[in-house]
Amino acid sequence: MVKDAIKILLVDDEPLVLRSMEKTLLRAGFDVETAGSARAGRFRFEEARTDQAPFDLAILDLHMPNLNDQDDPNAGLQLLSVLLAVEPTLPVIVLSAFDEVSRAKEAVARGARAYFVKGREAGLVEIVNEIFNP
Amino acid sequence: MDDQPSSRKKILCIDDTPEVRRLVLRLLSGDYVVLEATDGLQGIDTATKHRPDLILVDLHMPHLTGYEVATRLKSLLPQVPIVALTADVTANVRERALASGCDGYISKPLDVDRFPEQIAAFLAGAREQLQDESHRQAYQQMLVARLEEKVRELTEALKRNAELNEQNFQLLKKAQRQAHLLEAGARVGRSITSILNLDLLLKVTVDTICDEFGFYYAGIFLLDETGEWAILRAGRGEAGATLLERGHRLRVGGQSLIGMAAWLGKARIALDVGQEPARFNNPLLPLTRSEVALPLFIGGEVIGALSVQSTEEAAFSEADVVALQMLADQLAVAIKNARLLQDLEATHAELVRTKTFEAIATATGEAIHWVGNKAAPVPGSVARITEDVSRYLWLAAALLAEAPPELREHRYAQVLLQAAEALAAHGFSAEATRAELEPLPLKRLQRLLNVDSILEDLHIIEQSARAILSLKEDLIGPARQYRVEDVALAELLQETVAAMGIPSSIVTTDFAPEALRVRADAVQLERVFINLIKNAMEAMHEVKEKRLHLRVRPAEPGFVAAEVGDNGCGIPPDQLDKIWMAFYTTKGDRGGTGLGLPACAQIIGQLGGKIMVHSQVGVGTTFVVILPQVKPS
Repeated sequence: MVKDAIKILLVDDEPLVLRSMEKTLLRAGFDVETAGSARAGRFRFEEARTDQAPFDLAILDLHMPNLNDQDDPNAGLQLLSVLLAVEPTLPVIVLSAFDEVSRAKEAVARGARAYFVKGREAGLVEIVNEIFNP
Repeated sequence: MDDQPSSRKKILCIDDTPEVRRLVLRLLSGDYVVLEATDGLQGIDTATKHRPDLILVDLHMPHLTGYEVATRLKSLLPQVPIVALTADVTANVRERALASGCDGYISKPLDVDRFPEQIAAFLAGAREQLQDESHRQAYQQMLVARLEEKVRELTEALKRNAELNEQNFQLLKKAQRQAHLLEAGARVGRSITSILNLDLLLKVTVDTICDEFGFYYAGIFLLDETGEWAILRAGRGEAGATLLERGHRLRVGGQSLIGMAAWLGKARIALDVGQEPARFNNPLLPLTRSEVALPLFIGGEVIGALSVQSTEEAAFSEADVVALQMLADQLAVAIKNARLLQDLEATHAELVRTKTFEAIATATGEAIHWVGNKAAPVPGSVARITEDVSRYLWLAAALLAEAPPELREHRYAQVLLQAAEALAAHGFSAEATRAELEPLPLKRLQRLLNVDSILEDLHIIEQSARAILSLKEDLIGPARQYRVEDVALAELLQETVAAMGIPSSIVTTDFAPEALRVRADAVQLERVFINLIKNAMEAMHEVKEKRLHLRVRPAEPGFVAAEVGDNGCGIPPDQLDKIWMAFYTTKGDRGGTGLGLPACAQIIGQLGGKIMVHSQVGVGTTFVVILPQVKPS
């Protein structure tokens, strides 16, 4: 699989965190699109499918505005369910703060492929590579 | 009795036997006025008062005998004939009677036929004469002996009287002392049962016992947890203070009076007199001559003992012990109350400690979560910048490697080459970079490596740092210097709402007609209101018909209240007290630092005001800011 072809949807409501991770993934050679809320994320996801250019991977924050734009600690889980309902085989990585790991693990139990504790972004690249080059 | 002078002669009958007096009366009252006396003294008094014409006297009467009465009457009334009446048949009765001063002698039982004649004869002047003067002498000796006997009796009686007096006096004193003890006991009881601080209670009690009862020393011991030791908890004066300092304690069941009283649950008294004199050898209490130790009971269980010491020998009577035990019982009740309160306070303190730790744990967790999130992008940016710098330097080094030697000598080239070498020394692999970059065409290379990216990453780092620094600003912001001026509350609230872009359609106001002004730093106060209004708006996030209610009103005299109310979700009661804690936020990582309300409280506190909250889940929340009012000049 050619790296350039891997298309990632990155959803997080903290602009600085979002941009930093985007840069790291871009630098690692991935194709990245971003969204700042669960609702915006679902919108981009569906748009891409309509355009016949679906995402290969979604990276979702847990605590952000949900599908109704309400602040919600479980917005990521909500979006995860929506995406998997549409595309059950989609690999999803859940982002968590260091103290939300238990909920991130719950997300894995509910179908996410992996979770990543925000911080050392090189680790995120490793996880993505691991998913596509096991 | 007839006191009027009468022509009839008066006869006085002195006899302690009623039958004899009745008989004399019956036999003589027809012809004479008969006076009666039941004993010698009464007879003498009646005779001197009524001066009878003849006196009949019974020889055998208690106290003053008939002989003695006769002797006395003869000297008082020498002309009046005295006739002895007696049933005495011993020898020489008649002689003794005549010797004592009697003028005649009639033996009993009376001869009723002859008696009136005998009387008439004596009235007519008949007198018997004593033949033998030795009888008079014998009688005088007997009289002296009787006198001596009487003096002895009297002396004895006087002594007994004095003893009785002393006894009465002691009884009275005892009664008074007991009354005083009971009264003092009641007073001490009243004053101590209201004291709920245990140490103070014990201190006041020992002082009061000494002051009220006038005792030398008092000390209170309470048993330790094991019940093996009685520990001194309060003591009178310097001796008490010294003993307390030394941690004075006595073994329960040991030789000490306190140890015994606590062990037996009974009052123990030690006196330095009597069969087993106690030795009082405490150098701190040199004047103690007697001591009582009283057990302190709660619910039938001994909890300690009270020691009372006196400078007097045998100072403690049974009544004292009863009064002091009453006092000890009251003391025990007071101790129980104080201990209950102490337990309650300890429980409360424990609860507060637990809550505080919980709050600190929560707050710390929140703070770390917040700072962690803000700091999250920094390592990524730093890694990229480091990578970019190393790539630029590798490019420079690679370029210079192909440059003519004279160019490599250029001082700029020197700097660049040195930097590239330094990187290598820090573990950066030039080979890895070459492998990464050499295959790339120019376009890819330009996209991968550009100054914009570096600047952006620096910006990300800067923004993260700013966010984290804002935490510091929130923390120390309230403490910075501020400019105090007169601020019109209603105006400030309206301006703040407008500046925040709150739609006027949801704002209702209720401003007092007079312009209420406070002394405050307008910037700080605005910050408080921004915080409160922001909170209100967030609380109403899911409410369709939002209503932000602003109110300014007079509060308690000298104060003004500004209210910010909402009809939002409300704050659950269990969170109400936590909202004032730093780092506590219900809003996850978007809600700011959680320092808003604590900062508000600090600002308002500095202005001499206070901030309160009323909230009901599902109904809404109102924050009330109370500030000192500026009087209109």
